[in-house]
Amino acid sequence: MSFSESQDIEGATTAIQSQPDNKTRRYDRQLRLWAASGQTALEQARVLLISASALSTSTLKNLVLPGVGHFTILDSALTTPADIGNNFFLDPDASLGRHRADEAVRLLLELNEGVEGVADTSDIESVLAQGPSYFSAFTLVIAVNLPQSIIERLSPLLWDIPTGPPLIVVRSAGFLAEFFIQFHDHDVIESHSETAPSLRVDKPFPELLNHALQLDLKNMDPTDHGHIPYVVILVRALEDWKREHGAPPSTYAEKRAFKESVMKMQRHQDEENFEEAAANAYRAYTSSTIPSSVQALFDTLPPPDTPLDGQRHFSILLSALRAFTSEPPHVLPLSATLPDMKSDTENYVALQNIYRRRADEERAVFRQLVRDAGGADIPAEVVDLFCKNAHAIAGLKGARWGDLDTDREKLVSRLQTAPREMATHIALSALSAWLSLNPITQTHANGNANASAQNAASLAPPLPTAEALLAIVQGVVGIDVELGKEVHDAVGEAYVSPHSAWRSTHHLHDSARAPTADLPNVAAFMGGLIAQEAIKMITKQYVPVNGHCVIDLVDTWTGIIA
Amino acid sequence: MATPDVARVNGSSHRTDWHDRYYHVDQVLDRPGPRTDPSFMAGAGVKEFLRTQCKILVIGAGGLGCEILANLALSGFKDIHVIDMDTIDISNLNRQFLFRPKDVGKPKALVAAEYIMKRVPGVTVTPYFGKIQDKDDDYYMQFNLVICGLDSVEARRWINATLVNLVDPENPESLKPLIDGGTEGFKGQARVILPTVTSCYECSLDMLNKPTAFPICTIANTPRLPEHCIEWASVLEWPRVQGEKKMDTDDPEHIQWLYNIASARAKEFKIEGVTWQLTQGVVKNIIPAIASTNAIIAASCCNEAFKIATSSAAYLNNYFMLIGTDGVYSYTFEHEKRDDCPVCGGESLEVSVPRSWTVERLIEMLVEKQDIQIKKPSLSSGAKHIYFQAPKQLEEATRPNLEKPLVDLVPDGGDITVTASSLPFSLSLRVTYV
Repeated sequence: MSFSESQDIEGATTAIQSQPDNKTRRYDRQLRLWAASGQTALEQARVLLISASALSTSTLKNLVLPGVGHFTILDSALTTPADIGNNFFLDPDASLGRHRADEAVRLLLELNEGVEGVADTSDIESVLAQGPSYFSAFTLVIAVNLPQSIIERLSPLLWDIPTGPPLIVVRSAGFLAEFFIQFHDHDVIESHSETAPSLRVDKPFPELLNHALQLDLKNMDPTDHGHIPYVVILVRALEDWKREHGAPPSTYAEKRAFKESVMKMQRHQDEENFEEAAANAYRAYTSSTIPSSVQALFDTLPPPDTPLDGQRHFSILLSALRAFTSEPPHVLPLSATLPDMKSDTENYVALQNIYRRRADEERAVFRQLVRDAGGADIPAEVVDLFCKNAHAIAGLKGARWGDLDTDREKLVSRLQTAPREMATHIALSALSAWLSLNPITQTHANGNANASAQNAASLAPPLPTAEALLAIVQGVVGIDVELGKEVHDAVGEAYVSPHSAWRSTHHLHDSARAPTADLPNVAAFMGGLIAQEAIKMITKQYVPVNGHCVIDLVDTWTGIIA
Repeated sequence: MATPDVARVNGSSHRTDWHDRYYHVDQVLDRPGPRTDPSFMAGAGVKEFLRTQCKILVIGAGGLGCEILANLALSGFKDIHVIDMDTIDISNLNRQFLFRPKDVGKPKALVAAEYIMKRVPGVTVTPYFGKIQDKDDDYYMQFNLVICGLDSVEARRWINATLVNLVDPENPESLKPLIDGGTEGFKGQARVILPTVTSCYECSLDMLNKPTAFPICTIANTPRLPEHCIEWASVLEWPRVQGEKKMDTDDPEHIQWLYNIASARAKEFKIEGVTWQLTQGVVKNIIPAIASTNAIIAASCCNEAFKIATSSAAYLNNYFMLIGTDGVYSYTFEHEKRDDCPVCGGESLEVSVPRSWTVERLIEMLVEKQDIQIKKPSLSSGAKHIYFQAPKQLEEATRPNLEKPLVDLVPDGGDITVTASSLPFSLSLRVTYV
């Protein structure tokens, strides 16, 4: 809100706000992160969760609470006693034997009356048979611990829908877990980067330069002298330096001498603005250039003058930005936001206005470049937002799920460079592959809660052995690759002898430690991580994981396989 | 539909663990993993301890606390106690999932305990609606583990010092592992503290972000940011206009008043950006909080509690931090014990100060310095009182010392003992002059 000069105090008080409404108050702590724009995106999102396991409901809980628009749980299973034991969103008094999708939806909806939730108890096979139309109605699809064979069909189905929903594939077993986000592109325009934009001290625009040069430092009133903002001091000091030395300070000795020259401008020890200037001296001798992250995005564009008809808005904006930076002084559009600095109100606001006026001019230039690039239909607020955040934009190119596992060279090289991350990934992949061929249903998964313990035990299916698992791993990475300790550790977390024979027998013929364990804490941890990534995919204000994110809660670490 | 069996144990209505209740958890309790410590006794014994003997205290029933309670209950902890002094506010509902709009105004500890017991049969959650400082050493002695989900540095320092003081080398039971979690936006951390053995909360005080403080002269004379105008309204105008009336940052009328005053000042100085939300954020020092980050950190804390209680896997040594704004970045490391930690170190903290410093200047330093941060410190040297904040008479008697040079009261190399009513420990300083 801004007041014009002519407004009187009454005019101002009529524009005054009062306590926000209940919805704003309810979401206050998250609105301070992703603002109204992020909240709107979240409320328009439709999320599909495949499976109603503990990990799935933990994820959904963290999306329902902040107010996701809609969610569907696709799960055909009936609630077992084991489900009730580890899933907070199943009811010990009512859920047993009922569809767990129905029960989970009912209990999740209690968290937020503003959210719509639907249970779909169809079989995943029948849904896959319908083709892409079922999935294209969603903003995001999250698949939790699905058999390899299902993921192998789901992932290409979604990948082939050009504007289709991203897919998050989640796997967990005992203390280990991983996830991968399959997406084509993810653009972050409304970023929350902590890197500040350049103040262009080294390349001052005319009004800033004139403002700095016209200061009569010698005869200035002492109060005013102690209130010159450091940016102005630096611009002036650099000009003086260049007049004397011809070029900006470049060697270490020159930089130190420059810093000293700034301190010499200080009249009294208590002039903190000069100390601030000296502390920020690097801004004067660090050249304002195009950040490497932005330059890397330019490199993804077709050459200049290539028609961009039908290209994504982000590409058109990026191309306009490249055109902007191709003109001297080869910098990004100026940001209107000035950090706080030692000064008085008058000097600070004056400087702020100098920056703002210039930023307005450069924004106008940028807008024209966007139109020239064929972006006349891009909403003005998106163009302005892009211009404002130009220094921190991000554009991610995603990959297809499973690409890593078919790239043997990459697998082997990652086993060297990121051994524990890669080991965890291939152990979980092998487990998933094994379970696809030898499905372990919980011994009572037929919903027969009356089966006695003895009965259940005799029905127990064969458990995966380390030998079987390692054979799968070896098949993927190649028979000639020696598997390191990390692989055995990761494999062993799911496949260990009941009698600790692992250490002596080198883990052959061991049975599984936790092949199907959806531990409550691991489910909650993953539910938090996945929801966080989902929020990033939906709000487009933060940067999601691009690659496999691996989690080991034995030693408590996370890692990324890029 | 069949419901899990109900049985009477010890005369109380108690649902037994139905068959397959712990189908998932038991997979890691029945078998060790390759990295499991050889001392792990897989099977019945460890389950018995977890489910019938282990007693755990949860401090805080807020963003982290709600998650912690649910995770512990599902993991098999059956005897859980929870302390929280707060009541439920509407702004809690975006993440504190045990609370509903109808619960606004009720004590968090009570509502949370009731909800968990309803949803997870056989678990007893004993709530206490009050302060951790209300409880004595005997109370804390009864627990095997303590988990903290707090948003207050002061409360964390108090419980940390209390648990360090509790340790009796003759009695292994007196060492209570403390698991501490904290979040801010998409970032958070979880750590395991073994009082006297590992680095403690006080050891890492300098890792905290420095709170933004605006110099009073900026607020009074040269405002530049909307925050400066808000601080002017709350720090200077409120006491001037409202006199003795205490400012309640939870009272919307008070926020409205501050907002109006701050807006008028901003207009006068042509500063943009004073809003209702910003006013509330500045005066309440609001930290953004979301369900997902709380879920990650609470789960991490509970996972460590579970591993410590069962030995089913090694526990965290000793610090896990997570940043989720740009991908998922985490860092697990061992934070080192400080020999001069005032709580667990035993050695005096060496400080060198200019000879010109007055007592008042030293006090200013004690308040501000990142690794000390003692609000309202009282100072003594041997039997000599230097300055005491309370009682009133002592404060008056020692007040003249504030303006005296420190060197007149404490010799070079002399010791100063610093205490504060909010902290259950004293800091020992060794002063040298430069």
